[in-house]
Amino acid sequence: MFDKIKLDNLKNEGVENVPMKERREFLKMGFALTGIFAGGTIFSAVSSIDRVFASSEEFASKYPYKPHYSMVIHQDRCIDCERCVEACAATNHVPHEGYRTRILQRDVPDAVGQKREFIPVLCNQCNLPQCTRVCPTKATYKDPQNGIVMMDIAKCIGCLTCQEGCPYNARYFNEEKHAVDKCNFCFDTRLSKGEKLTGCAAACPAQCRVFGDLSDQSSEVYRKVHQIEKAVWVLRPEAGTRPNVFYTKG
Amino acid sequence: MNKSITVIIAAALMSLALAGPGLAGDNTNHGGDIVYTKPVKSVLFSHKVHVEQKGLTCDMCHARSFEMEALKAQENPDFTMESLYQGNYCGACHNGTMAFASNTRCASCHTGVKGSTVAQGH
Ligand code: HEC
Ligand code: HEC
Ligand code: HEC
Repeated sequence: MFDKIKLDNLKNEGVENVPMKERREFLKMGFALTGIFAGGTIFSAVSSIDRVFASSEEFASKYPYKPHYSMVIHQDRCIDCERCVEACAATNHVPHEGYRTRILQRDVPDAVGQKREFIPVLCNQCNLPQCTRVCPTKATYKDPQNGIVMMDIAKCIGCLTCQEGCPYNARYFNEEKHAVDKCNFCFDTRLSKGEKLTGCAAACPAQCRVFGDLSDQSSEVYRKVHQIEKAVWVLRPEAGTRPNVFYTKG
Repeated sequence: MNKSITVIIAAALMSLALAGPGLAGDNTNHGGDIVYTKPVKSVLFSHKVHVEQKGLTCDMCHARSFEMEALKAQENPDFTMESLYQGNYCGACHNGTMAFASNTRCASCHTGVKGSTVAQGH
């Protein structure tokens, strides 16, 4: 009996070495390459429709919100200096016990010469959020204009159903507000005041967080999400919530 | 009598420590782990890795790039990545030839806020 190949245990050798022509062939079939394994004998790919468009096929040619706020995170640039976390807390009055954004650490003993990897996380401002669906009072809702998942703290009864519904663990209970609090891309504290970047993106010294409007084809986030040179992925795609926070390397 | 012997031993130990870099073959007398927190939290430099595991000699760093005093470098305004890329400080070796380049593997030098709290035993 052969053991089944466990993709999880294999090292991703990266798509960088796959010729551009081959990658384009995959794209034509509707797949984007996300990795190659075992010296190129195994390719992993995701549907490029799913990958490229943050939402279902009806949005294939355009993004539903205007502006359609999004963040692309260059995971391998994060050094866990946590200036983003500090800036976020100062901007949005996040108490010490709470968080709107965090840096997760994953130990990767087999990665080339590097023993750890830092992963910045925040609310994914999903296109199909579970939190808004399960909230009994509509205290949390998707902004019809810009797609940000907002909190109306006056309506929040603190039942924490949204917290359980969130696949990204992006919500915490704020004792002071007596309501659930979460990242809103600094909408009230910065964007609505004319700032172009979230507090975290502005504070990052390593250009790790790229923020912008996905519906604008000339924006950096649009270009990064749509390029095919490097893999772009979302966290927990299986949750089916169509996140607007993307990850890439390089 | 006893007292003067202790003094002599202490003096001998002192000179041993001071002569550290000149002592061929003895490479355990180095400066240990150094955790930089400025300008960003935090970067770990390990003497153990560089001296004991990679076999580098004291002079390779202490002749030009670094003084023998922990955290001296982070007092300089040019202790930055840009400066490393230009071949200063760690960049003297971490240039892609002698050791992995400073614009790669960020998280191997940067152990982050989490790394620094672990290092400080919190
Ligand atoms: C790969 C580079 C490198 C090598 C090799 C090296 N050092 Fe260092 N050493 C450093 C750095 C970096 C510092 C910190 C300087 C700073 O922060 O400004 C340091 C600091 C020190 C300190 C001060 C520690 C303290 O706590 O104040 C001593 C002592 C020292 N080194 C001894 C040695 C000796 C002895 C050797 C040879 C056995 C050696 N080092 C080899 C890079 C090196
Ligand atoms: C004298 C040359 C030299 C200097 C200066 C130097 N390094 Fe290194 N370093 C090396 C070599 C050689 C290696 C091993 C080869 C490799 O991994 O590419 C290494 C490896 C490392 C590693 C990997 C350790 C491991 O466990 O594999 C880290 C992290 C590192 N250095 C950090 C630093 C930092 C931070 C500085 C500056 C404070 C620095 N180095 C300065 C030569 C140097
Ligand atoms: C060879 C070790 C090494 C590597 C590799 C490295 N750094 Fe650094 N980095 C340092 C040192 C040393 C400092 C200065 C000390 C500090 O800030 O704690 C520093 C400081 C910084 C700073 C603050 C100062 C500045 O230049 O703005 C940023 C941001 C930074 N690094 C980002 C990165 C990123 C992003 C990468 C990967 C592309 C990276 N570093 C790779 C050693 C390294």
